[in-house]
Amino acid sequence: MSGGANTPVETLPGQPPVGEHGALSCGKELSFSPGAEARFARLLTRYPTKQAALLPTLWIAQEEWGWISREAVDYVATRLGLSSAFVWGVVTFYTMYNRAPVGRHLIQVCTSISCHLNGAEEVFHACRKKLGDLKPGQTSADGKFTVVEVECLAQCDKAPAVMVNGDDHARITLENLDAFLSELK
Amino acid sequence: MSDFQPVLSARLGKKNSCALATYVADGGYASWKKVLAGSKTGEWTPAKVTDVVKASGLRGRGGAGFPTGMKWTFVPPKEKRGAKPVYLLCNADESEPGTFKDRILIEKDPHQILEGMMLASFALDVKHAYIYIRGEMVHGAEILNAAIDEAYAAGLLGKNVLGSGMDLDLTVHRGAGAYICGEETALIESLEGKRGHPRIKPPFPAVSGVWNAPTVVNNVETLCCVKHILDRGADWFKGIGRNERNTGPKLYCVSGHVEKPGVYEAPMGIPFKDLLAMCGGMKGGRKLKAVIPGGSSAPMLTAAEIIDVPLDFDGVAAAKSMLGSAAIIVMDETTDMPKAVTNIAKFYAHESCGQCTPCREGTPWLHKMLKRIVAGQGKKADVEMLLQVAGQMGNGMTICVFADAAIAPVLSAIPKFREEFEAYVTKSASPGFDQPAAAGITSKVAERTAEGMHS
Amino acid sequence: MAKVTVDGRTVEVPDTTNVLEACRAAGVDVPHFCYHPRLSIVGQCRMCMVEIEGVPKIQASCTVPVRDGMVVLASSEKALAARNATMEFLLINHPLDCPICDQAGECKLQDNAVAAGLPVSRTVEPRRQFPGYDRTSIGPHVIADMTRCIQCTRCIRFCSEISGTGELSLIERGGHAFVWTHEGKELDNAWSACAADVCPVGALTTKEFRFRKRVWWLDKARSVCDGCEIGCNVSIEHRDRVVYRFLPRVNLAVNDFWMCDYGRFRAEELNGNDFTRPVLRKAGTTRETHWGEALDAVKAAVDAAVSKDPASVLVLGSARLSTEESWLLAQLFKGTVGVPHVEFHADLGPERRIKNPAVPGGWLVGREAAPNSRGAEAAGVARAGKGSALARLLDGSYTPDVLYVADAEFTSRVSDPEFILALCRAKTLVVHGRRTNLLTDAADILLPVASLAGKEGTFVNVLGLVQRFQLAIVPPPIVRTDLEVLLHLGKRWNAFDPQWTAKAVFERMKGTVPGYAGLEWDSAGLVGNDASASPTSAYDVLLERRLANPAEILAAVAEAAGTAGGEK
Repeated sequence: MSGGANTPVETLPGQPPVGEHGALSCGKELSFSPGAEARFARLLTRYPTKQAALLPTLWIAQEEWGWISREAVDYVATRLGLSSAFVWGVVTFYTMYNRAPVGRHLIQVCTSISCHLNGAEEVFHACRKKLGDLKPGQTSADGKFTVVEVECLAQCDKAPAVMVNGDDHARITLENLDAFLSELK
Repeated sequence: MSDFQPVLSARLGKKNSCALATYVADGGYASWKKVLAGSKTGEWTPAKVTDVVKASGLRGRGGAGFPTGMKWTFVPPKEKRGAKPVYLLCNADESEPGTFKDRILIEKDPHQILEGMMLASFALDVKHAYIYIRGEMVHGAEILNAAIDEAYAAGLLGKNVLGSGMDLDLTVHRGAGAYICGEETALIESLEGKRGHPRIKPPFPAVSGVWNAPTVVNNVETLCCVKHILDRGADWFKGIGRNERNTGPKLYCVSGHVEKPGVYEAPMGIPFKDLLAMCGGMKGGRKLKAVIPGGSSAPMLTAAEIIDVPLDFDGVAAAKSMLGSAAIIVMDETTDMPKAVTNIAKFYAHESCGQCTPCREGTPWLHKMLKRIVAGQGKKADVEMLLQVAGQMGNGMTICVFADAAIAPVLSAIPKFREEFEAYVTKSASPGFDQPAAAGITSKVAERTAEGMHS
Repeated sequence: MAKVTVDGRTVEVPDTTNVLEACRAAGVDVPHFCYHPRLSIVGQCRMCMVEIEGVPKIQASCTVPVRDGMVVLASSEKALAARNATMEFLLINHPLDCPICDQAGECKLQDNAVAAGLPVSRTVEPRRQFPGYDRTSIGPHVIADMTRCIQCTRCIRFCSEISGTGELSLIERGGHAFVWTHEGKELDNAWSACAADVCPVGALTTKEFRFRKRVWWLDKARSVCDGCEIGCNVSIEHRDRVVYRFLPRVNLAVNDFWMCDYGRFRAEELNGNDFTRPVLRKAGTTRETHWGEALDAVKAAVDAAVSKDPASVLVLGSARLSTEESWLLAQLFKGTVGVPHVEFHADLGPERRIKNPAVPGGWLVGREAAPNSRGAEAAGVARAGKGSALARLLDGSYTPDVLYVADAEFTSRVSDPEFILALCRAKTLVVHGRRTNLLTDAADILLPVASLAGKEGTFVNVLGLVQRFQLAIVPPPIVRTDLEVLLHLGKRWNAFDPQWTAKAVFERMKGTVPGYAGLEWDSAGLVGNDASASPTSAYDVLLERRLANPAEILAAVAEAAGTAGGEK
């Protein structure tokens, strides 16, 4: 896949992530569902400027469509009165806005220092290998898994820490990796 | 020491600890109600709350250890700031590797944070406060939002709180994955809906922060302390801790090679060896090699350097490191130092915001060199060059202190464990060539340029 | 005002000045990339590092406001070491492609590498690449090459703060950060090439100038854009009688630091003459001739018509002629010959705009598509309105015997055959022309003239400012300037001396032409004769003398300060 969910840490630094940086097209025009529209409207009441609602609006967009496409950027930019380039600049500054569709399980393996001391890199590599020799950020052929490396998840006491979508998982080691993966459906 | 009763973490193990009902049953929101009621009689004024916090000696728990009460007094008085509102931002962007104390407070006792924010808002005349929580804490944000909803429903937030005439709104703002947003001005930029680029200071946030209005940014744990100070008084708080410059209870995040990693609450200034004992000692009984005492940006200390150090702001500073966020990363004798430093360098290369040249270019450079060294491709001169490159990144060369954080592991680990780095380069198979890195080039050119400029 | 001492030299500067500008005022040019006087201060290139006494840490001078009594050490060992460091960081990933880079020769990175860089490279790590983001068109005029970008963000700030169009943004972060548009959108605004102007390196270059000429071969002439009535100050950059580009010259009263793409890319339009000799057409035959015969023929036709009825001659000037030329036209035909109809017409629109904080409303607006209608009017040429001879010629109620058109491109309607047919009703059609168009094709007497680049004179812009433009390239042999044509023609009535230069005409007319009284040719508007002063008023001077020595800069700054009006 190109773009990658989160910028794959392994390719850093030096070379930019493989593939395109540019926002991928989802090929259709987008607009918020009524539910998202209501959340968006409420959001705007919480800040003195429209621009301040950008990060939460992008979260709504990601929850609506799963990832931030070129059209999503244009849509959000229009809704908030910002330029598309500005919005895309913000999207790419943060690692958690997916820039391509991701698998049902977005497996985020922390490899920062405390997890590193507990063998996180080996877990990250083993995890990718077991799911079909995935590259960092790559989604498995069945669309179930995307594995990315992330920085400290603030679970250093539960190293190596892994987050799947929004859920925290503690002490994922080479020993219990199989059991952990088989629980993800 | 043994008679110390946990304060900040007292409720963490309780059932339904996040619920408003259990929080109130444990005496929660008493201070908020007390202060609001007292504000009508004149018994409590914003200045008095600030004075109590000042008197407690509370220093910020986010990393820099700046006195909280003093920070509050930097906000210009009403007559000077005019119609501009004051904003309080709770910094819950806990991202410093090794740090996980705020996460536990957020996930287990959110009302404690809210009450601290309410009291701070009263002291600072804040009408709308924000919690900037890092994007990765998905459940934390949900828990905070639920707690805020409960507080609104109970009349503890909103218009005319508890009939006091004071209005207060509270909003959770999620980040989206950027370590730098823990830096207070980057956090402000991010809250404004921008890329998290730290701002040039001055102006400091207290004068011109979010939306150009006076802004106070306080850490989660700091705000929790405020609640307890108002509960029990400045003297009680001051009575805990090693000395009057290092007061109060403190959450220590211990991770790495210990038997029982986790968050431990102890009086400020607990000696490292006592904390290690609380954690059940070294994992597998192995020997202690080094410790990073304040999150990955704190200079590394060797076993001998750390073992007796009292873990407070001044104690760790005296040992030439820093308490930071009190993230104690413990490394045993099996730790490969060059690899550990490479890992930390990778983190900083990934998280640099990219504004300032020395940091944007320097952090990946350090990482590339380290990666080459641990891959066996290093040369002897590389070790010295690491120190030289790191040496020209910090100390005012950048807008924020990220670069200083990024170089601390390199500048501390290499002199202390030089033989480990040299072992990698001497066994390097690469024929290579020695760099013209020898010291002197820089100063020679400086001389030459200086001449040129005046000719 | 604050007294600031920089490397031992004390200067007095306004309190709002930053240390970088104070250093400049003291004659110390602190190298910098991201700072630009008209863009917000971001302080992120970290090149302008200086030491300030009493401040422990080294400071980026652009971010620090001056304080009275401040002592700045801009060239101390610590300051130079800091700049050395920043240069090294900038260069570790910068490609070594100066030989094929258009910016070479006017590249800040090159200049500063010489001034503050290390003589050797210490890095062996592979240089950063941006596959897919090098040598790519990002808009109608601009090509981007991100491998050369130093992330100073000037272009981004230009697009958000000056053009207000926000096409560019920093994408990604840290060492991967690069500047780009959003996918599917282009850097396309009326001033887009200014983004390449503010780029200190070769990351943004213009398609029109790319690979055309190494910049160190270019000669420069101070001129004024003739695209509209704003009259942006430009530098005509040329070599061997070929114009290669316009660059905006700083004039704080007029175009500030900017110019629009429309005006800028008229530059190459100035090259070339379709006619190398005067042309006479008679009864279907066309022949080239010499000036003597052509001008004699003009005189004969005019004299014949005037002897019958002076009103049977219509002289059409142009808002594209210099005031000197318009004055000669009016003096000769209205004065000496006694022709009542000496008129000009200027097209309206499209509207051009230039952002300038010195102008009320913040924008200078040009509605007329010609640079000098005010000068033409001041010189005595009448604006052709309702009931004018031109209007009557077009509606068929008036047919002149001689129609003298002093500019074959005075309106866009010259490509309209109907319009030309109307003009052709005159028995004799005399035209000053440079490029073939319907009007020159129809001319009975065609007089070949030079372009703006080939002449000198003054224009009066929309603000009423008299602005002088210099000769850039000598016109081809035999081709003459409008001024020379009019002088030689006037000689035939003993009205003018052909030896007069534009300056001589200026001196003769300035007493009687409104707005010109008291002006001096040598200073008239070359840097904007009344450019109101600001802390950066010397910027233009410095740009012109980039590598001049400090003493010379000091003198220039003192000079600029002497002519200073108020501050902004």
